[in-house]
Amino acid sequence: MNPDDLRYHREHTWVRVTGKKATIGITDYAQDALGEIVYVDLPEVDIHVEANSEVGEIESTKATSSIISPVSGRIVEVNEELTETPEIINEDPYGKGWIASLDIEDITELDDLMDSSEYEKYIEEEAK
Amino acid sequence: MKLAILGAGPGGYVAAIKAAQLGAQVTVIEDTEVGGTCLNRGCIPTKSFLTSSELLAKTRELDNYGIELRGEIVPNLSKILERNKKVVATQVKGIRSLFKNWGITLKEGRGELISPSEIKVTLKDGSEEKIEPDRIIIATGSRPARIPTLPFDGGKIISSDEAIEPTEIPKSLLIVGAGAIGCEFACIYASLGTDITMVEMLPRVLPLEDPEISELFTRELKKKKIKAYTGVKVEKVDIRSDGIHAVLSNATEIVADKVLVSVGRALNSDGIGVEALGIIKSPRGEIIINEKMETNIPCIYAIGDVVGGFLFAHVASAEGKIAAKNIMGGNEKIDYGAIPYAVFTSPEIASVGLREQQATEKGIKVRTGYLQFRALGKAHAMGETTGFVKLVADATSDRLLGAHIIGPHASDLIHEATLALKAGLRIKDIAETIHSHPSLSEGLMEAAEDAHSEAIHAIRRQG
Repeated sequence: MNPDDLRYHREHTWVRVTGKKATIGITDYAQDALGEIVYVDLPEVDIHVEANSEVGEIESTKATSSIISPVSGRIVEVNEELTETPEIINEDPYGKGWIASLDIEDITELDDLMDSSEYEKYIEEEAK
Repeated sequence: MKLAILGAGPGGYVAAIKAAQLGAQVTVIEDTEVGGTCLNRGCIPTKSFLTSSELLAKTRELDNYGIELRGEIVPNLSKILERNKKVVATQVKGIRSLFKNWGITLKEGRGELISPSEIKVTLKDGSEEKIEPDRIIIATGSRPARIPTLPFDGGKIISSDEAIEPTEIPKSLLIVGAGAIGCEFACIYASLGTDITMVEMLPRVLPLEDPEISELFTRELKKKKIKAYTGVKVEKVDIRSDGIHAVLSNATEIVADKVLVSVGRALNSDGIGVEALGIIKSPRGEIIINEKMETNIPCIYAIGDVVGGFLFAHVASAEGKIAAKNIMGGNEKIDYGAIPYAVFTSPEIASVGLREQQATEKGIKVRTGYLQFRALGKAHAMGETTGFVKLVADATSDRLLGAHIIGPHASDLIHEATLALKAGLRIKDIAETIHSHPSLSEGLMEAAEDAHSEAIHAIRRQG
Protein backbone atom coordinates (compact mmCIF):
# COMPACT_ATOMS: atom_id res chain seq x y z
CA MET A 1 0.00 0.00 0.00
CA ASN A 2 2.87 2.43 0.64
CA PRO A 3 4.74 3.00 -2.62
CA ASP A 4 8.19 1.40 -2.85
CA ASP A 5 9.85 4.34 -4.59
CA LEU A 6 9.41 6.67 -1.59
CA ARG A 7 11.34 7.20 1.62
CA TYR A 8 9.43 7.63 4.87
CA HIS A 9 9.95 9.74 7.98
CA ARG A 10 8.88 8.62 11.45
CA GLU A 11 6.61 11.69 11.67
CA HIS A 12 4.57 10.13 8.85
CA THR A 13 5.78 12.17 5.92
CA TRP A 14 7.22 10.84 2.66
CA VAL A 15 9.70 12.08 0.09
CA ARG A 16 10.06 11.26 -3.58
CA VAL A 17 13.38 12.23 -5.15
CA THR A 18 13.85 12.83 -8.87
CA GLY A 19 17.26 14.29 -9.61
CA LYS A 20 17.72 17.25 -7.27
CA LYS A 21 14.00 17.71 -6.72
CA ALA A 22 12.33 16.25 -3.66
CA THR A 23 8.55 16.15 -3.37
CA ILE A 24 7.06 15.72 0.08
CA GLY A 25 3.68 14.78 1.50
CA ILE A 26 2.00 12.96 4.36
CA THR A 27 1.46 9.21 4.41
CA ASP A 28 -1.77 7.28 3.97
CA TYR A 29 -1.52 6.23 7.62
CA ALA A 30 -1.31 9.92 8.65
CA GLN A 31 -4.26 11.03 6.55
CA ASP A 32 -6.33 8.14 7.89
CA ALA A 33 -5.42 8.99 11.49
CA LEU A 34 -6.21 12.67 10.94
CA GLY A 35 -9.56 12.08 9.28
CA GLU A 36 -11.19 14.69 7.10
CA ILE A 37 -8.57 17.35 6.33
CA VAL A 38 -9.95 20.86 6.35
CA TYR A 39 -6.92 23.10 6.07
CA VAL A 40 -3.27 22.96 5.12
CA ASP A 41 -0.92 25.75 6.10
CA LEU A 42 1.61 25.60 3.29
CA PRO A 43 5.17 26.88 3.52
CA GLU A 44 6.26 29.90 1.50
CA VAL A 45 8.17 29.35 -1.68
CA ASP A 46 11.91 30.14 -1.41
CA ILE A 47 12.19 29.59 2.33
CA HIS A 48 14.74 27.12 3.58
CA VAL A 49 13.65 24.17 5.68
CA GLU A 50 15.69 21.78 7.78
CA ALA A 51 15.08 18.06 7.91
CA ASN A 52 13.03 17.04 10.98
CA SER A 53 11.57 20.52 11.38
CA GLU A 54 8.11 21.89 10.79
CA VAL A 55 7.35 22.84 7.20
CA GLY A 56 3.63 23.49 7.65
CA GLU A 57 0.53 22.54 9.55
CA ILE A 58 -2.38 20.35 8.74
CA GLU A 59 -5.78 20.64 10.34
CA SER A 60 -8.47 18.00 10.25
CA THR A 61 -11.81 17.78 11.97
CA LYS A 62 -9.97 15.72 14.62
CA ALA A 63 -6.64 17.44 15.19
CA THR A 64 -4.03 19.96 14.14
CA SER A 65 -0.56 18.55 13.45
CA SER A 66 2.77 19.79 12.26
CA ILE A 67 4.07 18.63 8.91
CA ILE A 68 7.67 17.56 9.47
CA SER A 69 10.01 17.81 6.53
CA PRO A 70 11.94 14.57 5.93
CA VAL A 71 14.77 16.42 4.14
CA SER A 72 16.51 19.82 4.07
CA GLY A 73 16.34 22.26 1.22
CA ARG A 74 14.79 25.32 -0.37
CA ILE A 75 11.08 25.21 -1.17
CA VAL A 76 10.60 25.58 -4.93
CA GLU A 77 6.91 24.85 -5.27
CA VAL A 78 3.87 24.27 -3.10
CA ASN A 79 0.67 22.48 -4.00
CA GLU A 80 -1.70 25.44 -4.35
CA GLU A 81 -4.60 23.04 -5.01
CA LEU A 82 -4.59 22.28 -1.29
CA THR A 83 -5.62 25.82 -0.41
CA GLU A 84 -9.08 25.34 -1.82
CA THR A 85 -9.38 21.55 -1.72
CA PRO A 86 -7.30 20.18 1.18
CA GLU A 87 -9.35 16.96 1.11
CA ILE A 88 -7.35 15.72 -1.89
CA ILE A 89 -4.76 14.63 0.69
CA ASN A 90 -7.36 12.18 2.01
CA GLU A 91 -8.10 10.95 -1.48
CA ASP A 92 -4.61 10.69 -2.88
CA PRO A 93 -1.86 11.27 -0.29
CA TYR A 94 0.96 9.99 -2.52
CA GLY A 95 -0.18 11.69 -5.71
CA LYS A 96 -2.37 14.76 -6.10
CA GLY A 97 -2.14 15.36 -2.37
CA TRP A 98 1.60 16.22 -2.42
CA ILE A 99 2.44 19.20 -0.23
CA ALA A 100 5.61 20.85 -1.49
CA SER A 101 8.70 20.26 -3.51
CA LEU A 102 12.16 21.41 -2.63
CA ASP A 103 15.69 21.53 -3.90
CA ILE A 104 17.32 18.77 -1.91
CA GLU A 105 20.67 19.73 -0.38
CA ASP A 106 22.07 16.58 1.04
CA ILE A 107 21.09 13.36 -0.65
CA THR A 108 22.60 11.36 2.23
CA GLU A 109 19.71 12.50 4.43
CA LEU A 110 17.65 9.88 2.63
CA ASP A 111 19.70 7.22 4.39
CA ASP A 112 18.15 8.29 7.70
CA LEU A 113 14.66 7.56 6.36
CA MET A 114 12.74 4.32 6.12
CA ASP A 115 11.80 2.36 3.02
CA SER A 116 8.24 1.17 2.57
CA SER A 117 8.63 -2.17 4.37
CA GLU A 118 10.45 -0.55 7.30
CA TYR A 119 7.75 2.09 7.51
CA GLU A 120 5.02 -0.55 7.51
CA LYS A 121 6.70 -2.33 10.41
CA TYR A 122 7.08 1.02 12.13
CA ILE A 123 3.37 1.85 11.96
CA GLU A 124 2.44 -1.64 13.10
CA GLU A 125 4.63 -1.07 16.15
CA GLU A 126 3.12 2.35 16.74
CA ALA A 127 -0.39 0.97 16.58
CA LYS A 128 0.33 -1.43 19.45
CA MET B 1 -30.62 64.68 45.40
CA LYS B 2 -29.83 66.40 42.11
CA LEU B 3 -27.38 64.40 40.01
CA ALA B 4 -25.79 65.47 36.71
CA ILE B 5 -23.98 63.00 34.51
CA LEU B 6 -21.57 63.96 31.72
CA GLY B 7 -21.99 61.36 29.00
CA ALA B 8 -24.78 58.92 28.16
CA GLY B 9 -22.71 55.88 27.17
CA PRO B 10 -23.05 52.50 28.88
CA GLY B 11 -21.51 54.05 32.00
CA GLY B 12 -23.53 57.25 32.15
CA TYR B 13 -26.93 55.99 31.08
CA VAL B 14 -26.85 53.00 33.43
CA ALA B 15 -25.77 55.26 36.31
CA ALA B 16 -28.63 57.63 35.42
CA ILE B 17 -31.27 54.91 35.52
CA LYS B 18 -29.90 53.33 38.71
CA ALA B 19 -29.81 56.73 40.47
CA ALA B 20 -33.33 57.56 39.27
CA GLN B 21 -34.54 54.19 40.56
CA LEU B 22 -33.09 55.16 43.94
CA GLY B 23 -34.92 58.49 43.87
CA ALA B 24 -32.45 60.97 42.42
CA GLN B 25 -33.42 63.81 40.13
CA VAL B 26 -31.11 63.12 37.19
CA THR B 27 -29.87 65.25 34.28
CA VAL B 28 -27.70 63.64 31.61
CA ILE B 29 -25.60 65.74 29.24
CA GLU B 30 -24.62 64.11 25.95
CA ASP B 31 -23.18 65.81 22.87
CA THR B 32 -23.64 63.00 20.33
CA GLU B 33 -26.22 60.30 21.00
CA VAL B 34 -27.36 58.25 23.98
CA GLY B 35 -25.64 54.88 24.12
CA GLY B 36 -22.20 56.38 23.52
CA THR B 37 -19.45 54.67 21.57
CA CYS B 38 -20.70 51.21 22.48
CA LEU B 39 -24.10 51.59 20.95
CA ASN B 40 -23.41 54.07 18.16
CA ARG B 41 -19.88 53.33 16.98
CA GLY B 42 -18.71 50.23 18.82
CA CYS B 43 -20.09 47.01 20.29
CA ILE B 44 -23.53 46.99 18.73
CA PRO B 45 -23.03 48.14 15.12
CA THR B 46 -19.86 46.03 14.78
CA LYS B 47 -21.75 42.93 15.94
CA SER B 48 -24.53 43.68 13.52
CA PHE B 49 -21.97 44.17 10.73
CA LEU B 50 -20.21 40.96 11.78
CA THR B 51 -23.48 39.02 11.66
CA SER B 52 -23.90 39.97 8.00
CA SER B 53 -20.30 39.14 7.17
CA GLU B 54 -20.43 35.78 8.99
CA LEU B 55 -23.67 34.88 7.25
CA LEU B 56 -21.98 35.67 3.98
CA ALA B 57 -19.05 33.41 4.86
CA LYS B 58 -21.40 30.64 6.00
CA THR B 59 -23.51 30.94 2.86
CA ARG B 60 -20.41 30.36 0.78
CA GLU B 61 -20.09 26.98 2.52
CA LEU B 62 -23.73 25.97 2.10
CA ASP B 63 -22.53 23.04 0.06
CA ASN B 64 -20.97 21.51 3.19
CA TYR B 65 -24.39 21.50 4.82
CA GLY B 66 -26.17 19.82 1.96
CA ILE B 67 -27.83 22.93 0.65
CA GLU B 68 -27.65 23.81 -3.01
CA LEU B 69 -27.65 27.41 -4.04
CA ARG B 70 -28.77 28.15 -7.55
CA GLY B 71 -27.61 31.69 -7.97
CA GLU B 72 -25.00 34.11 -6.80
CA ILE B 73 -24.29 35.44 -3.33
CA VAL B 74 -23.56 39.15 -3.37
CA PRO B 75 -23.19 41.41 -0.34
CA ASN B 76 -25.16 44.64 -0.65
CA LEU B 77 -23.27 47.17 1.44
CA SER B 78 -25.96 49.80 1.65
CA LYS B 79 -28.49 47.25 2.87
CA ILE B 80 -26.03 45.85 5.40
CA LEU B 81 -25.40 49.36 6.74
CA GLU B 82 -29.11 50.11 6.75
CA ARG B 83 -29.66 47.06 8.94
CA ASN B 84 -26.83 48.12 11.27
CA LYS B 85 -28.45 51.52 11.64
CA LYS B 86 -31.83 49.99 12.36
CA VAL B 87 -30.35 47.81 15.10
CA VAL B 88 -28.68 50.86 16.64
CA ALA B 89 -31.79 53.05 16.29
CA THR B 90 -33.93 50.50 18.15
CA GLN B 91 -31.51 50.47 21.06
CA VAL B 92 -31.17 54.28 21.10
CA LYS B 93 -34.94 54.58 21.21
CA GLY B 94 -35.00 52.08 24.06
CA ILE B 95 -32.61 54.16 26.17
CA ARG B 96 -34.48 57.37 25.39
CA SER B 97 -37.76 55.85 26.48
CA LEU B 98 -36.16 54.48 29.68
CA PHE B 99 -35.01 58.03 30.39
CA LYS B 100 -38.56 59.30 29.94
CA ASN B 101 -39.88 56.45 32.01
CA TRP B 102 -37.62 57.31 34.95
CA GLY B 103 -38.03 61.10 34.56
CA ILE B 104 -34.41 61.61 33.54
CA THR B 105 -33.70 64.92 31.77
CA LEU B 106 -31.49 64.64 28.68
CA LYS B 107 -29.57 67.78 27.68
CA GLU B 108 -28.21 67.36 24.18
CA GLY B 109 -25.06 69.39 24.17
CA ARG B 110 -21.58 69.62 25.57
CA GLY B 111 -21.01 69.92 29.29
CA GLU B 112 -18.14 71.58 31.10
CA LEU B 113 -17.50 71.56 34.82
CA ILE B 114 -17.34 75.05 36.29
CA SER B 115 -17.33 74.13 39.97
CA PRO B 116 -18.22 71.01 41.98
CA SER B 117 -21.82 72.20 41.87
CA GLU B 118 -22.04 73.90 38.50
CA ILE B 119 -22.00 72.66 34.89
CA LYS B 120 -22.17 74.82 31.80
CA VAL B 121 -23.99 73.13 28.94
CA THR B 122 -23.53 74.32 25.37
CA LEU B 123 -26.60 73.04 23.58
CA LYS B 124 -26.61 71.94 19.96
CA ASP B 125 -28.17 75.25 18.85
CA GLY B 126 -25.28 77.15 20.43
CA SER B 127 -27.22 78.47 23.42
CA GLU B 128 -25.81 77.99 26.91
CA GLU B 129 -27.44 76.71 30.03
CA LYS B 130 -26.31 76.29 33.60
CA ILE B 131 -27.04 73.24 35.75
CA GLU B 132 -26.50 73.21 39.51
CA PRO B 133 -26.37 69.65 40.74
CA ASP B 134 -25.51 68.24 44.17
CA ARG B 135 -23.40 65.48 42.71
CA ILE B 136 -21.64 64.95 39.35
CA ILE B 137 -20.57 61.78 37.53
CA ILE B 138 -18.00 62.13 34.74
CA ALA B 139 -18.62 59.41 32.14
CA THR B 140 -17.16 60.96 29.01
CA GLY B 141 -15.60 57.80 27.60
CA SER B 142 -12.88 57.50 25.00
CA ARG B 143 -12.14 57.90 21.30
CA PRO B 144 -9.81 56.19 18.81
CA ALA B 145 -6.15 56.89 19.63
CA ARG B 146 -4.08 58.64 16.99
CA ILE B 147 -0.52 58.04 15.91
CA PRO B 148 1.53 60.89 14.42
CA THR B 149 2.66 58.99 11.32
CA LEU B 150 -0.95 58.16 10.43
CA PRO B 151 -3.21 61.14 11.13
CA PHE B 152 -6.89 60.39 10.59
CA ASP B 153 -8.34 62.13 7.54
CA GLY B 154 -11.73 60.47 7.51
CA GLY B 155 -11.23 59.17 3.98
CA LYS B 156 -8.01 57.26 3.37
CA ILE B 157 -6.70 57.00 6.90
CA ILE B 158 -9.58 56.01 9.10
CA SER B 159 -10.49 54.89 12.60
CA SER B 160 -13.10 52.39 13.75
CA ASP B 161 -15.61 55.29 13.66
CA GLU B 162 -15.41 55.33 9.84
CA ALA B 163 -14.78 51.60 9.39
CA ILE B 164 -18.20 50.91 10.85
CA GLU B 165 -19.87 53.06 8.19
CA PRO B 166 -17.87 52.61 5.00
CA THR B 167 -18.93 54.36 1.80
CA GLU B 168 -17.74 51.37 -0.20
CA ILE B 169 -16.04 48.03 0.35
CA PRO B 170 -12.35 48.82 -0.10
CA LYS B 171 -10.38 46.54 -2.42
CA SER B 172 -7.51 46.55 0.01
CA LEU B 173 -7.09 47.62 3.60
CA LEU B 174 -4.03 48.00 5.79
CA ILE B 175 -4.91 47.58 9.46
CA VAL B 176 -2.41 49.06 11.88
CA GLY B 177 -2.76 47.38 15.27
CA ALA B 178 -3.83 43.74 15.59
CA GLY B 179 -5.66 44.06 18.90
CA ALA B 180 -9.35 43.33 19.40
CA ILE B 181 -10.69 46.15 17.21
CA GLY B 182 -8.24 45.56 14.37
CA CYS B 183 -8.90 41.81 14.33
CA GLU B 184 -12.68 42.25 14.42
CA PHE B 185 -12.63 44.55 11.40
CA ALA B 186 -10.15 42.25 9.64
CA CYS B 187 -12.70 39.40 9.91
CA ILE B 188 -15.61 41.58 8.78
CA TYR B 189 -13.87 43.07 5.76
CA ALA B 190 -12.14 39.83 4.73
CA SER B 191 -15.46 38.10 4.20
CA LEU B 192 -16.73 41.12 2.24
CA GLY B 193 -13.83 40.50 -0.13
CA THR B 194 -11.28 43.09 0.98
CA ASP B 195 -7.64 42.15 0.68
CA ILE B 196 -6.23 42.72 4.17
CA THR B 197 -2.79 43.25 5.61
CA MET B 198 -2.31 43.70 9.34
CA VAL B 199 0.66 45.24 11.09
CA GLU B 200 1.27 44.75 14.80
CA MET B 201 4.13 46.31 16.75
CA LEU B 202 4.12 43.57 19.41
CA PRO B 203 5.39 40.05 18.64
CA ARG B 204 1.97 38.43 18.05
CA VAL B 205 -1.57 39.20 16.98
CA LEU B 206 -3.99 39.75 19.87
CA PRO B 207 -0.92 40.31 22.07
CA LEU B 208 -2.93 40.54 25.28
CA GLU B 209 -4.55 37.12 24.90
CA ASP B 210 -3.26 33.73 25.96
CA PRO B 211 -0.39 32.85 23.56
CA GLU B 212 -2.17 29.66 22.44
CA ILE B 213 -5.18 31.75 21.45
CA SER B 214 -2.95 34.09 19.43
CA GLU B 215 -1.36 31.09 17.75
CA LEU B 216 -4.67 29.53 16.75
CA PHE B 217 -6.07 32.87 15.62
CA THR B 218 -2.97 33.48 13.49
CA ARG B 219 -3.79 30.27 11.64
CA GLU B 220 -7.40 31.42 11.24
CA LEU B 221 -6.11 34.66 9.70
CA LYS B 222 -4.13 32.61 7.18
CA LYS B 223 -7.27 30.67 6.30
CA LYS B 224 -8.97 33.97 5.59
CA LYS B 225 -5.93 34.95 3.51
CA ILE B 226 -5.19 37.87 5.80
CA LYS B 227 -1.52 38.71 5.93
CA ALA B 228 -0.28 39.68 9.39
CA TYR B 229 3.13 41.19 10.10
CA THR B 230 4.07 41.13 13.78
CA GLY B 231 6.90 42.80 15.62
CA VAL B 232 7.01 45.55 13.02
CA LYS B 233 6.01 49.19 12.86
CA VAL B 234 4.79 51.43 10.09
CA GLU B 235 7.73 53.74 9.39
CA LYS B 236 6.46 55.96 6.62
CA VAL B 237 3.22 56.57 4.81
CA ASP B 238 2.74 58.19 1.47
CA ILE B 239 -0.66 58.90 -0.06
CA ARG B 240 -0.40 58.52 -3.84
CA SER B 241 -2.91 58.29 -6.65
CA ASP B 242 -2.78 54.48 -6.74
CA GLY B 243 -3.30 54.16 -2.99
CA ILE B 244 -1.51 54.52 0.29
CA HIS B 245 2.07 53.32 0.31
CA ALA B 246 3.25 52.23 3.72
CA VAL B 247 6.81 51.24 4.47
CA LEU B 248 7.26 48.90 7.42
CA SER B 249 10.25 48.64 9.74
CA ASN B 250 11.13 45.31 8.06
CA ALA B 251 11.41 47.26 4.75
CA THR B 252 8.26 45.70 3.29
CA GLU B 253 6.16 48.11 1.26
CA ILE B 254 2.40 47.72 1.34
CA VAL B 255 -0.02 49.46 -0.99
CA ALA B 256 -3.63 49.71 0.14
CA ASP B 257 -6.78 51.70 -0.68
CA LYS B 258 -7.28 52.60 2.95
CA VAL B 259 -5.56 52.39 6.30
CA LEU B 260 -7.46 51.57 9.47
CA VAL B 261 -5.61 52.70 12.57
CA SER B 262 -6.67 50.60 15.56
CA VAL B 263 -3.95 51.14 18.13
CA GLY B 264 -6.10 51.68 21.19
CA ARG B 265 -8.27 54.36 22.72
CA ALA B 266 -7.58 57.90 23.94
CA LEU B 267 -9.52 59.06 26.98
CA ASN B 268 -11.98 61.97 26.87
CA SER B 269 -10.79 63.78 29.97
CA ASP B 270 -9.79 67.01 28.21
CA GLY B 271 -11.93 70.08 27.58
CA ILE B 272 -14.50 69.29 30.27
CA GLY B 273 -13.08 71.45 33.03
CA VAL B 274 -11.39 68.65 34.97
CA GLU B 275 -8.06 70.50 35.31
CA ALA B 276 -9.54 73.79 36.54
CA LEU B 277 -11.30 71.95 39.36
CA GLY B 278 -8.12 70.19 40.40
CA ILE B 279 -9.39 66.69 39.67
CA ILE B 280 -6.35 64.41 39.60
CA LYS B 281 -5.51 62.63 36.34
CA SER B 282 -2.76 60.17 35.44
CA PRO B 283 -0.24 61.10 32.73
CA ARG B 284 -2.33 58.98 30.33
CA GLY B 285 -5.35 61.14 31.08
CA GLU B 286 -7.18 58.67 33.32
CA ILE B 287 -9.26 60.35 36.00
CA ILE B 288 -8.07 58.86 39.27
CA ILE B 289 -10.81 57.33 41.41
CA ASN B 290 -11.12 55.12 44.46
CA GLU B 291 -13.08 51.86 44.79
CA LYS B 292 -16.25 53.86 45.40
CA MET B 293 -15.80 55.75 42.10
CA GLU B 294 -15.03 59.01 43.90
CA THR B 295 -12.49 61.45 42.49
CA ASN B 296 -10.31 63.52 44.83
CA ILE B 297 -12.91 66.32 44.71
CA PRO B 298 -15.89 65.73 47.00
CA CYS B 299 -19.22 65.18 45.22
CA ILE B 300 -17.53 64.40 41.87
CA TYR B 301 -17.44 60.80 40.68
CA ALA B 302 -16.00 59.28 37.51
CA ILE B 303 -16.73 55.98 35.73
CA GLY B 304 -16.10 54.09 32.50
CA ASP B 305 -13.31 54.43 29.95
CA VAL B 306 -12.31 57.88 31.27
CA VAL B 307 -11.03 56.25 34.48
CA GLY B 308 -8.87 53.80 32.49
CA GLY B 309 -8.37 50.19 33.54
CA PHE B 310 -10.67 47.86 31.66
CA LEU B 311 -12.16 49.77 28.71
CA PHE B 312 -15.30 47.69 28.44
CA ALA B 313 -18.92 48.78 28.25
CA HIS B 314 -19.92 46.27 30.92
CA VAL B 315 -17.26 47.54 33.31
CA ALA B 316 -18.49 51.11 32.74
CA SER B 317 -22.03 49.96 33.55
CA ALA B 318 -20.89 48.15 36.70
CA GLU B 319 -18.99 51.24 37.81
CA GLY B 320 -22.01 53.39 36.99
CA LYS B 321 -24.23 51.33 39.28
CA ILE B 322 -21.68 51.56 42.11
CA ALA B 323 -21.38 55.35 41.71
CA ALA B 324 -25.16 55.80 41.63
CA LYS B 325 -25.68 53.68 44.74
CA ASN B 326 -22.94 55.51 46.63
CA ILE B 327 -24.37 58.87 45.65
CA MET B 328 -27.72 57.73 47.01
CA GLY B 329 -26.25 56.87 50.38
CA GLY B 330 -24.72 53.48 49.72
CA ASN B 331 -21.26 52.29 50.60
CA GLU B 332 -20.34 50.01 47.72
CA LYS B 333 -16.98 49.08 46.30
CA ILE B 334 -16.18 47.82 42.84
CA ASP B 335 -14.86 44.26 42.47
CA TYR B 336 -12.68 43.81 39.39
CA GLY B 337 -11.99 40.16 40.26
CA ALA B 338 -14.14 38.47 37.62
CA ILE B 339 -14.49 40.56 34.49
CA PRO B 340 -15.25 38.63 31.35
CA TYR B 341 -14.74 40.05 27.89
CA ALA B 342 -15.00 38.89 24.34
CA VAL B 343 -13.36 39.63 21.03
CA PHE B 344 -15.87 39.23 18.24
CA THR B 345 -13.66 37.75 15.61
CA SER B 346 -14.55 34.59 13.75
CA PRO B 347 -14.13 32.41 15.67
CA GLU B 348 -14.97 34.36 18.82
CA ILE B 349 -12.54 34.74 21.70
CA ALA B 350 -13.49 35.25 25.33
CA SER B 351 -11.58 35.41 28.54
CA VAL B 352 -11.99 35.92 32.28
CA GLY B 353 -9.53 36.02 35.14
CA LEU B 354 -5.86 35.16 35.07
CA ARG B 355 -3.98 33.73 32.14
CA GLU B 356 -1.62 30.84 32.85
CA GLN B 357 1.45 33.04 32.61
CA GLN B 358 -0.01 35.76 34.85
CA ALA B 359 -0.83 33.18 37.51
CA THR B 360 2.66 31.66 37.30
CA GLU B 361 4.21 35.13 37.59
CA LYS B 362 2.22 35.64 40.79
CA GLY B 363 3.98 32.59 42.17
CA ILE B 364 0.89 30.38 42.04
CA LYS B 365 1.36 26.70 41.24
CA VAL B 366 -0.94 26.32 38.29
CA ARG B 367 -2.93 23.43 36.86
CA THR B 368 -4.53 23.81 33.44
CA GLY B 369 -7.35 21.98 31.73
CA TYR B 370 -7.72 22.01 27.99
CA LEU B 371 -10.31 20.80 25.54
CA GLN B 372 -10.56 21.23 21.80
CA PHE B 373 -14.03 21.86 20.45
CA ARG B 374 -13.39 19.21 17.82
CA ALA B 375 -13.80 16.63 20.60
CA LEU B 376 -17.47 17.61 20.94
CA GLY B 377 -20.31 16.19 18.89
CA LYS B 378 -22.18 19.48 18.93
CA ALA B 379 -19.23 21.32 17.38
CA HIS B 380 -19.15 18.80 14.53
CA ALA B 381 -22.91 19.05 14.02
CA MET B 382 -22.58 22.82 13.79
CA GLY B 383 -19.60 22.59 11.45
CA GLU B 384 -17.53 24.69 13.86
CA THR B 385 -14.74 22.54 15.20
CA THR B 386 -11.98 25.11 15.44
CA GLY B 387 -10.98 26.29 18.88
CA PHE B 388 -10.50 25.24 22.48
CA VAL B 389 -11.32 25.91 26.10
CA LYS B 390 -8.43 26.45 28.48
CA LEU B 391 -9.00 26.62 32.21
CA VAL B 392 -6.43 27.83 34.70
CA ALA B 393 -6.68 26.69 38.32
CA ASP B 394 -4.66 26.89 41.49
CA ALA B 395 -3.03 23.44 41.72
CA THR B 396 -3.13 23.50 45.50
CA SER B 397 -6.68 24.65 46.22
CA ASP B 398 -8.17 23.60 42.85
CA ARG B 399 -9.89 27.00 42.65
CA LEU B 400 -10.56 28.36 39.20
CA LEU B 401 -8.32 31.34 38.38
CA GLY B 402 -9.18 31.99 34.76
CA ALA B 403 -10.82 30.71 31.60
CA HIS B 404 -9.82 31.39 28.01
CA ILE B 405 -11.89 30.30 25.08
CA ILE B 406 -11.55 30.57 21.33
CA GLY B 407 -14.30 29.01 19.28
CA PRO B 408 -18.01 29.08 18.52
CA HIS B 409 -20.10 31.14 20.97
CA ALA B 410 -17.09 31.83 23.20
CA SER B 411 -18.66 35.14 24.25
CA ASP B 412 -21.61 33.29 25.81
CA LEU B 413 -19.70 30.27 27.10
CA ILE B 414 -17.39 32.42 29.21
CA HIS B 415 -20.08 33.22 31.76
CA GLU B 416 -20.19 29.80 33.36
CA ALA B 417 -16.52 30.26 34.19
CA THR B 418 -17.16 33.87 35.26
CA LEU B 419 -19.76 32.74 37.79
CA ALA B 420 -17.44 29.99 39.03
CA LEU B 421 -14.63 32.50 39.41
CA LYS B 422 -16.82 35.04 41.21
CA ALA B 423 -18.13 32.34 43.54
CA GLY B 424 -14.64 30.97 44.22
CA LEU B 425 -15.53 27.51 42.94
CA ARG B 426 -13.07 24.72 42.38
CA ILE B 427 -12.40 23.34 38.93
CA LYS B 428 -13.81 20.06 40.26
CA ASP B 429 -17.16 21.81 40.79
CA ILE B 430 -17.34 22.53 37.06
CA ALA B 431 -16.25 18.97 36.22
CA GLU B 432 -18.90 17.47 38.50
CA THR B 433 -21.73 19.64 37.24
CA ILE B 434 -23.81 17.70 34.76
CA HIS B 435 -23.79 19.53 31.43
CA SER B 436 -26.49 19.09 28.85
CA HIS B 437 -25.61 17.05 25.77
CA PRO B 438 -25.07 17.96 23.02
CA SER B 439 -23.81 21.42 23.80
CA LEU B 440 -20.70 23.53 23.45
CA SER B 441 -20.77 24.03 27.22
CA GLU B 442 -19.59 20.45 27.55
CA GLY B 443 -16.25 21.91 26.51
CA LEU B 444 -15.98 23.63 29.90
CA MET B 445 -16.91 20.46 31.76
CA GLU B 446 -14.39 18.39 29.83
CA ALA B 447 -11.66 21.01 30.15
CA ALA B 448 -12.30 20.94 33.91
CA GLU B 449 -12.08 17.15 33.87
CA ASP B 450 -8.90 17.39 31.83
CA ALA B 451 -7.26 19.45 34.57
CA HIS B 452 -7.31 16.22 36.56
CA SER B 453 -6.64 14.10 33.42
CA GLU B 454 -10.18 12.79 33.57
CA ALA B 455 -11.65 14.11 30.33
CA ILE B 456 -13.69 11.51 28.51
CA HIS B 457 -13.40 12.83 24.98
CA ALA B 458 -9.76 13.90 24.95
CA ILE B 459 -6.84 11.78 23.84
CA ARG B 460 -4.95 10.29 26.79
CA ARG B 461 -2.02 12.47 27.83
CA GLN B 462 1.43 11.03 27.25
CA GLY B 463 3.47 9.94 30.24
